[in-house]
Amino acid sequence: MTTYDVELIDIVKDFESGGKPVRAVDHVSAQIADGEFFALLGPSGCGKTTTLRLIAGFEQPTAGKVLIRGLAMEGIPAYHRPVNTVFQDYALFPHLTVEQNIMFGLQMEGVNKKEARKRASESLDMVRLPDVGARKPHQLSGGQQQRVALARALVKKPAVLLLDEPLGALDLKLRVNMQYELKALQRDVGITFIYVTHDQEEAITMADRIAVMNEGKMLQIGSPREIYEHPDTHFVADFIGETNFIAGALLDQDADGFGRVRLADESVIKAQLSQTLRSAGGAVTVAIRPERIGISTLQQRPEALGTDVDSGEITLLDALLVDSQYIGTDTRYTVRIGDESDLVVRVQNTSERDNSAIAVGQPFKIFWRPSSATVLDR
Amino acid sequence: MRRNGVFLALPTILWLVIFFVLPLAVVLVFSFMSRGRGGVAIMPFTLEHYQRAFGVFFIILQRSIGLAALTTIVCLIVGYPLAFFISTRRRRIVRQITLFLVILPFWTNFLIRTYAWRILLGEEGTINGVLLSLGLISEALPLLNTQLAVLIGLVYGFLPFMALPIYASVERFNFRYVDAAHDLGANDVRTFLRVVLPLTLPGVLAGCALVFIPSVGAFVTPDLLGGTKGLMIGNLINKQFGGSGNMPLGSALSIVMMAVVMISLLVYVFANRREAAA
Repeated sequence: MTTYDVELIDIVKDFESGGKPVRAVDHVSAQIADGEFFALLGPSGCGKTTTLRLIAGFEQPTAGKVLIRGLAMEGIPAYHRPVNTVFQDYALFPHLTVEQNIMFGLQMEGVNKKEARKRASESLDMVRLPDVGARKPHQLSGGQQQRVALARALVKKPAVLLLDEPLGALDLKLRVNMQYELKALQRDVGITFIYVTHDQEEAITMADRIAVMNEGKMLQIGSPREIYEHPDTHFVADFIGETNFIAGALLDQDADGFGRVRLADESVIKAQLSQTLRSAGGAVTVAIRPERIGISTLQQRPEALGTDVDSGEITLLDALLVDSQYIGTDTRYTVRIGDESDLVVRVQNTSERDNSAIAVGQPFKIFWRPSSATVLDR
Repeated sequence: MRRNGVFLALPTILWLVIFFVLPLAVVLVFSFMSRGRGGVAIMPFTLEHYQRAFGVFFIILQRSIGLAALTTIVCLIVGYPLAFFISTRRRRIVRQITLFLVILPFWTNFLIRTYAWRILLGEEGTINGVLLSLGLISEALPLLNTQLAVLIGLVYGFLPFMALPIYASVERFNFRYVDAAHDLGANDVRTFLRVVLPLTLPGVLAGCALVFIPSVGAFVTPDLLGGTKGLMIGNLINKQFGGSGNMPLGSALSIVMMAVVMISLLVYVFANRREAAA
């Protein structure tokens, strides 16, 4: 039997709010492997922070089990769990110096002062913040405080490090730098990271696997690529990146996991079925990413994809241009298809191609591979 | 332009000089003068009142400091959890009501409230009555006119002065620090001692100063509840300025009492500074 670093087994957490119980976590199960960078992603109030707090031991589940390294955590207080947390607001003790903050956790383990001081200084070196040990937290910048919080948690060499939106308070540039640094640090120390964020880009950049949460439920768990390219639900497709949704009716399904969908204008397209698709026919939604759509009048041609249009291995639709927007790396087009719905198409700007060569109202064809489009429950 | 500030402060300065500095100077001078007929201060200068203050009256000074210290400790033991309880109530209305209950006694005159304690503690008072009727005791306990009665009265009177500053401190306390301490392996006791207490210490120190200083000089409470056994320095001073008193002795006792208060204030300031520097 494989033991996971953290196992959540059918966790439920109810809170009392104004006399009414509110379900913050709704039957959540997940297995997180040793050394994995696991992101809990979702909008605020989706239950991701509560899930983290249940693992840390700050909250007790209403039902279900938390296992850490195979051990049931029921009745084990936070201070006896082999996990450490980097809090959203860092929660550095304001009355202690940086060094004392980092030594705090070691002293609770009974490490003597000399050894604790040595390890604190090593840990400050690790987060590349030497020479601030004597300062008080309020004398540091937000980014420095973030590193101290990281050092304070990592110095305990936990089995699992829990991070609650640790980069949320930093400005954009620093946040992007810290993303790479955190990822590199995680690779170096080899500790399992469970990382709570509402920022999908952050999750995609850093995580080995992402669990997307909404309204207390874990909707989908998978690698960033799986989550982005094959969202299981409308919510996941919509929450992660930009997506076009086209309404249609599912006609049939084939053995390869594809189905044919009839759109409102009677045209029929082929698309991959989502893993969790419930409907065997009837009303569905087809999701397609803007950058997966090609425009025929630009240099992209269906033939360039190396497949035969007539064989049905490419989806081809008539469209006309409604609007175009230059956004730096890409040009973002709004196009109208036969069923009168508008889709967004993104085409990369390159030196060989003039993306401004099409005019509003101009007809052309748009195309994509069926495997790029996903059929979802409506 | 800056000079105008002096004129703005002038009424305050005059007020302080007339009602604070001058009387204090008079008391200081009186304390070194001899006792005349009717207890008034006359020449020549003498140190005899200070000798008596640290001589025969020293036991009363000691008792005053002891009772005030005990009052402070009991207020702290009762007030800290009370303040914590109030400020950790989730619902605003509960916090407001409990805070209101703490302040409510101020709506009645302190003298009347202290008299009420006489009724509660008396030989035929409420407490003895209940205990007797329950058969827990066979004869009335001597509660009134003891130091215990004074202590009860002082704690009762000064508890809000302890609870309110601590409440203000706990109110500002971020409970995320408790999570952080637990997370780092500190159990509840260590979390309290290493994190909660240091971060609420300003409120504790302010509360201690606000309770200890007026307790040392209290005279209504010991007068009504303490009898002769519970006599405090405040009663002694009060008596010296009455009919057949001794104003120079009263002045000397006042100066000694002020010195005690001053020393405890210095301790407070010093502790606060260290806290701020640490």
